[in-house]
Amino acid sequence: MLIREVMHPDPITIAPDVSLSKAYSLMNRENIRHLPVLESGKLVGIVTDRDLRLATSKLAEHPFDPQVEIREVMSHPVRTTHSNDPVEMATQIMRELKIGCLPVVDETVLVGIVTNADLLDAMLRLTGVHLPSGRLDIGMPDRPGELARLTKIIADRNINIHSILTYSEAGKRMRMVLRVNTMEIHALAKDICEAGFEILWPPHIICVK
Amino acid sequence: MRKVIYHPKYKEYDLGPQHPFSPVRVKMVLELLDSLGIPFNPVQPELISADRLKEIHEPDYVDIVEAVSNGEAAKDIGQYGLGTGDNPVVRGMAEGARWQCAGSLLGAQLLINGQAESVLQMGGGFHHARRGLAAGFCLYNDLALAVKTMTDHGWHVAYLDLDVHHGDGVQEIYYTSDKVMTISLHESGEYIFPGTGWLHELGQGMGRSLKLNLPLEPYTEGDSYLESLRKITEPALAWFRPNALVVQAGADAHFSDPLADIMLTTQNYQKIFSYIFSLVEKYCYNRVLITLGGGYSFFATARIWTLLYLMQQRYEIPAELPGSWLNRWRKIIGTDAGNNFHDREKAYRKIPRKGDIERVNQAMAIRLLDAVAGDWL
Ligand SMILES: [Zn+2]
Repeated sequence: MLIREVMHPDPITIAPDVSLSKAYSLMNRENIRHLPVLESGKLVGIVTDRDLRLATSKLAEHPFDPQVEIREVMSHPVRTTHSNDPVEMATQIMRELKIGCLPVVDETVLVGIVTNADLLDAMLRLTGVHLPSGRLDIGMPDRPGELARLTKIIADRNINIHSILTYSEAGKRMRMVLRVNTMEIHALAKDICEAGFEILWPPHIICVK
Repeated sequence: MRKVIYHPKYKEYDLGPQHPFSPVRVKMVLELLDSLGIPFNPVQPELISADRLKEIHEPDYVDIVEAVSNGEAAKDIGQYGLGTGDNPVVRGMAEGARWQCAGSLLGAQLLINGQAESVLQMGGGFHHARRGLAAGFCLYNDLALAVKTMTDHGWHVAYLDLDVHHGDGVQEIYYTSDKVMTISLHESGEYIFPGTGWLHELGQGMGRSLKLNLPLEPYTEGDSYLESLRKITEPALAWFRPNALVVQAGADAHFSDPLADIMLTTQNYQKIFSYIFSLVEKYCYNRVLITLGGGYSFFATARIWTLLYLMQQRYEIPAELPGSWLNRWRKIIGTDAGNNFHDREKAYRKIPRKGDIERVNQAMAIRLLDAVAGDWL
């Protein structure tokens, strides 16, 4: 999954000479929290609703006047991502820098914006939760061929897989969350169990060996 | 007036001999009624056209379903949920589904015309069919079609889904509607199909707080189920005051059902049905349309739907099952069923987490009522 599949194209932007107060009402009107700052078509900064509120707070030592220009409080230089970057890379950057959005810049042009909410949506899509499905949590040995063995069981029942998420459990085994298009999840779980895989959830599917 | 709807053509919705959604279940009901000497005089619907289904389904979806059902090759049927183990492509399935939709539609019309107050449709209940997606054994959403007929008449409609699976298709189709309240009690989607029906799915826009979901813990038993049902449906219907209630009476919440883990007995079902009839009288202008639905333990399903028929038509519930019927079906199905109409006492093993399960369900009902309280003024 690439950034261009999850980003908002053509984001609302602002010029650096606009006042804090105007920027704030723009955010409220559009119901957004991040404004990329553009000067002659180039991304020169970014400002968030939090930046505005902190800068103008009465609690600040030297609060900014709401009429000062955005350029006074915006963050720059801006960390960006490319529309062909994988979503996990953008997620890593945002986690590392503890920021809530990344403008998407291809070469020198701002083409979109991606926020942490978009990445959560991306995760939901990756889980297949939006499609009617049953769900199993499975444990399997961490070695080649196991996944193929498992998916064959599913294919033999003519069941469609909506998503497979796998992760390693501290070198012990592979864990898998499986979403499959079947009403007969119990029967499938039993087949999987009998083939030697562990059903970790639901806990009560008794394996007949 | 209490009417029953059925057509022999319902049987044509047959997804194959190994498929759980089998016409055998209704056949068992009809033969059981016959063996008991109970009259069965249904009103028969007339087949509806595929265009009728486009009122609730996406036109291209209906076209694809009809095409593959006629044996025409179509590509990318997977994106419509077709050609899977649950929803295989079977010759004539679209027409079979339309026959059953016709029955639910007729049910709605009988209520609207005042020709009936209580209608039992001996088919239908395809609650998983989405606007553009076949799912969970369902092709066309007869329930949504019946509801639409009523809302087109200007009615407010409440939909109550007793099937053990979440009524996701009906909920999806009416998610933003202020004319339709949906209430679904089901086994929580933590692992069973369709994985939706969480408490936070409350509807959108004008439909907010009109879509109610009560996910129940696996191994929920009758008392806890009934308590949950009472806690939610009574205040919901008392507030919404629908012109009619539509009930999907799937029988797969029975303890012996192979597809799910809710532990209702036939005795529980009797209480549930009589409670629903009392709600209909009190809050729904005495109008109800009941359909069938899931139910994959054949002996249990046949008894539950026969029970429903007997209650709706106000016949006595017999103590025993007729021997001829039992012997015949024991031979065909293989599994054993007791000689009594109802389940035996202590029909299943004690549930170890009983107390926890009840507490979780109670808390869930309270959370649901809290979640909608602000909108139910
Ligand atoms: Zn069901």
